Amino acid sequence: MITLNHYLVLAAALFCIGLFGVLTSRSALRVVVCVELILNAVNLNLAAFSAYVAPKEAVGMNFIIFLMVIAAAEVGLALAVILTLNRTSDISAIDRLRKLKG
Amino acid sequence: MSLTLVFFYLYAAIALAGAVGLVIARNLVHAVMSLFATLLAVAMLYMLLGSQFLAAMQLFIYGGAVTVLVLFVLMLTKAEPEKAAASRRTVRTVSLVLCGVFFAALTYILGTHTWEVAASHTQDTASLAEILFSRYALPFELAGLALTIALIGAIVLAREDDVAGTAVSLRPPAGRADGERE
Repeated sequence: MITLNHYLVLAAALFCIGLFGVLTSRSALRVVVCVELILNAVNLNLAAFSAYVAPKEAVGMNFIIFLMVIAAAEVGLALAVILTLNRTSDISAIDRLRKLKG
Repeated sequence: MSLTLVFFYLYAAIALAGAVGLVIARNLVHAVMSLFATLLAVAMLYMLLGSQFLAAMQLFIYGGAVTVLVLFVLMLTKAEPEKAAASRRTVRTVSLVLCGVFFAALTYILGTHTWEVAASHTQDTASLAEILFSRYALPFELAGLALTIALIGAIVLAREDDVAGTAVSLRPPAGRADGERE
């Protein structure tokens, strides 16, 4: 029998792996993709809580739908920024970007 | 060990392996493809949780749209091979320790807490839609607005030619193009 804790520990592991990727990777694209992984871990957490704790009301599932919408908007904008950066400068390592520093 | 538990462990293993592959793969295309495996496994986990609608949405939005979008941008940009410098190793070690401690703390807290679990775990799509279009009708409309704004913003940001002088330019003025390259 799968318990709620199974899902929660799996989501925590996915979240931590995504966090590690965000902290360590230098490529902007990989950071965006790791943020997607983190959002997926959060979604899994919400789905598990919604199904196990409050199955009568699908509130957690609704939250997931909104999170997916915002994540789609976020990834679209982030990829547009990456494209623009790549076209206007030849820096692809995000820790060397200092354009907004003034 | 029931059959659903076997499938849970199978999907969990695929999801974790994909996530680890995303972080450690040198080639970005390989990284995105292993993220794809993770996304599919998470969709199957939604199915195990009894929400077919979310599983389908996960497949469409993440498995289809986001993966293809990321691969497209990957093909359109110049890839710079990631060099493993000595300073990166400290960053890696510190991040690994931080994330490990965070994960250990999370599992410890989850182990000590017990939740009030309901008897049945099935949620049908009809109840989801009922709440979505009554209690969350306004956020639903606002989400559509947010998507539209993000769409317009992405077009403005990524536009190639400066038609009316409104496109965002990150190019530094001529003469100091070398100053930003360290």
